Amino acid sequence: MASTAAVPFWRAAGMTYITYSNICANLVRNCLKEPFKAEALNREKVHFSLSKWAGGKPEKPILRSDTPGV
Amino acid sequence: MAMSILRREGRRLLPSIAARPIAAIRSPLASDQEEGLIGVRSISTQVVRNRMKSVKNIQKITKAMKMVAASKLRAVQGRAENSRGLWQPFTALLGDNPSIDVKKSVVVTLSSDKGLCGGINSTVVKVSRALYKLNAGPEKEVKFVIVGEKAKAIMFRDSKNDISLTVTELNKNPLNYAQVSVLADDILKNVEFDALRIVYNKFHSVVAFLPTVATVLSPEIIEKESEVGGKLGELDSYEIEGGETKGEILQNLAEFQFSCVMFNAVLENACSEMGARMSAMDSSSRNAGEMLDRLTLTYNRTRQASITTELIEIISGASALEAAK
Repeated sequence: MASTAAVPFWRAAGMTYITYSNICANLVRNCLKEPFKAEALNREKVHFSLSKWAGGKPEKPILRSDTPGV
Repeated sequence: MAMSILRREGRRLLPSIAARPIAAIRSPLASDQEEGLIGVRSISTQVVRNRMKSVKNIQKITKAMKMVAASKLRAVQGRAENSRGLWQPFTALLGDNPSIDVKKSVVVTLSSDKGLCGGINSTVVKVSRALYKLNAGPEKEVKFVIVGEKAKAIMFRDSKNDISLTVTELNKNPLNYAQVSVLADDILKNVEFDALRIVYNKFHSVVAFLPTVATVLSPEIIEKESEVGGKLGELDSYEIEGGETKGEILQNLAEFQFSCVMFNAVLENACSEMGARMSAMDSSSRNAGEMLDRLTLTYNRTRQASITTELIEIISGASALEAAK
């Protein structure tokens, strides 16, 4: 049952629903006033290190972080 | 009269003891490494004292670690219990199908980065391996996505050809939904799957954590299953608002479901890790205390034995002198 109906713009751009909802949430958080804004943006910090494996060997890890090099 | 008999008995024994005092006198300088008159080798008091000091330090450290883990547990526990409400509507809508038979399963194993937390990481790895055996077969393949250093180290030994992604340093910042959703996004983009099985330790109480498997299906499988019937077959009775088709909604739902289930799983795993660390540190403090008791007894015994040996040397030396007089 392939859907040939109009895909929403974000899916056509390659985003998943998760990315879409995260961007919307970020916009909502930016609407807050200080000091709540700083607290809320604190809740959005991302940091982890991902590494793909091919044939039993890990490749170079990718660091996904808001604070790279820390 | 009795006293003179005793004195005579004592003098009779003296020669046997006095015959060897010279050997004993040679060693008072090296009294730490002494051989008692009877020829028994005893542990030196210095060695025992050093051990007692180090065991006491270890006990202090493990007690402190237990306090830290307890305070961290209190902080995360509330969030974990609240996050359970995120995936409950999904299970109510789509049902839980742990025994579904699919071609491509991906097992997401959650573990901790740091050690000293008891056996939780090994139970998770055991369940992951069991899932692999269950789901492997002709035309079926199982891949692993490993979160956490500890599971990576264990799985590397025998399943390294089936690992497709590893993630570490997730616990560096306090856990939040944004982080987990980015991780879920990465997994979705990099791994092909029909069914995702997330293995984590569910937090029941401070001493009870059970390894659990949460299953998330891909939207294509959901559509296939909904034709078969059952809980998913009732999806057609829902009205769809807006201009989206059922397939699209299912895809959005599946992605969001994965993200929510991952968030809850990561929080519960963190809680379980803290709880396991608390009980591990607690039992190790208790063991250190028992060890300390035993060492104290050994120390006192050794000390008393050395004092007795010195007394014997002195007395036998003195009586030898008297006898020589």
